[in-house]
Amino acid sequence: MSRATRRLAQVGSLAALVAAWEALVRLGWVDPLFVASPLAVARAVGALAPEAARLLGETLGKTLVAYVLSVSLGVGVGLALGTVRHLYDVVNPFLVALYAIPKILVLPWILLAFGLGTAPAVVYGTLHGFFPVCLLVVGGVRDVDRTPILVARSMGATPAQIYRKVLLPAVLPAVLAGMRLGIIFCLLGVLVVEMFGGIRGMGFLLSSLANAFRPAELFAATALVSLLSVGVVLLLEHVNRRLGHWR
Amino acid sequence: MRVLLGRAAVLLVALGAWELWARSQNPLLYIPPSKIGPALVRVVRLEAYPALPEHLGLTVVEVGVAYALAIGLGLGLGFLLGLPRHLGEIYEPILSGLYAIPSVVWYPSLMLFFGLGPASKIAFGFLLGFFPVVLAVLVGIRSVDRHLLIVARAFGAGPGTSFVKVILPAMTATVVAGLRAGLALTVVGVIVGEVLGARAGLGYLINYAYGFLRTAEYAALAVLVLVLVMAVDGLAALVEARAQRWAG
Repeated sequence: MSRATRRLAQVGSLAALVAAWEALVRLGWVDPLFVASPLAVARAVGALAPEAARLLGETLGKTLVAYVLSVSLGVGVGLALGTVRHLYDVVNPFLVALYAIPKILVLPWILLAFGLGTAPAVVYGTLHGFFPVCLLVVGGVRDVDRTPILVARSMGATPAQIYRKVLLPAVLPAVLAGMRLGIIFCLLGVLVVEMFGGIRGMGFLLSSLANAFRPAELFAATALVSLLSVGVVLLLEHVNRRLGHWR
Repeated sequence: MRVLLGRAAVLLVALGAWELWARSQNPLLYIPPSKIGPALVRVVRLEAYPALPEHLGLTVVEVGVAYALAIGLGLGLGFLLGLPRHLGEIYEPILSGLYAIPSVVWYPSLMLFFGLGPASKIAFGFLLGFFPVVLAVLVGIRSVDRHLLIVARAFGAGPGTSFVKVILPAMTATVVAGLRAGLALTVVGVIVGEVLGARAGLGYLINYAYGFLRTAEYAALAVLVLVLVMAVDGLAALVEARAQRWAG
């Protein structure tokens, strides 16, 4: 099957889905109090846009701070654990165990400790992003082929040179994979705090629209967040491919 | 041996630092580890929350229903899209594209549609558990070696025999791993749903203890839920190992 036919089938199916949904609402088979028709959602996007743009910016700002923290901490700790054997042996089990804890269990404590401002969202977002990045980088370092390192060392490369010229380029794919996964988790963490803590931002808008029984605006806001996050992921993938060429 | 000592040291230092820090802070906000034990005893003896068994039972039922739906629909849709040659190519990118959206954005819509009761938690747990299952089936089917199928056909195996004797064993490892990931995510989805808005269930209880600043009991409940989650995942790991042996 050619790429074009595949795209056509995908777009066609999605269009059919939206049309069926519109028909379902028009025919009165679902209660408009709970489900808005696609047309109503499209109209709500226009009405919601100014407010949503401001709140999206706020949420995105927190996510970005959490993301920078997650990636820098994750890559730093990951490189340290991956290269220093003893450190890995001692610390890695804790890292895996902490990663396995459902983060929702510590959410109330984070609000207790950090109050109701921007800080808990950043901390919780970082908590979500850090572990996947860190574990991917640890795995990436440990999977690096040892032969080029031995060769470089026998040719007289210093540890710093080995790090920069051999290890880092080899670990880059794992770092990039972590960066792509991390952004979604950071956004997830920030949104959960905004929903739970009733702090401003897109998560708060989503939960308050649900509580106010305004499905058209709610679906519009949901669509905006979804588009934003798909957009960010596509952007990262684009950067990823660029860097792939460069390597 | 030295590694074990190192691990014990890390654990002791972490707990000690937490203990000292928490004691110097407001006891409503910070709980030292030494206070969690007694609170846990109160919670488990049902002194703190006499209705704990009912809340636990509700959460278990929600997880059970959500996971059953995730398995049924996940396996069903997976085979439906994966076995015909072209359907998977069309719909798998859409399914994995949905992965790029943080799942929690769906929760307010589910809560609006299904209400504050168990239905919205089941729906959210299902949604989280469904994707790993369906994607694992699609990946599993794609990973089946075509040569084996050709050989089986050459020896006269019909489509049914090929499916049972070749496709199923070859994809078992992938699918079982997906089922285990799906179970973990279903549990998380149900608890997240309960914490974000519910009238009953373990997540609701955690939220309740937090809301009334019963911080020690909140910590004890969190530990209790953590133990249950790990027990469920440990059980799933055993089943996974069994299935791998059968397939291998």
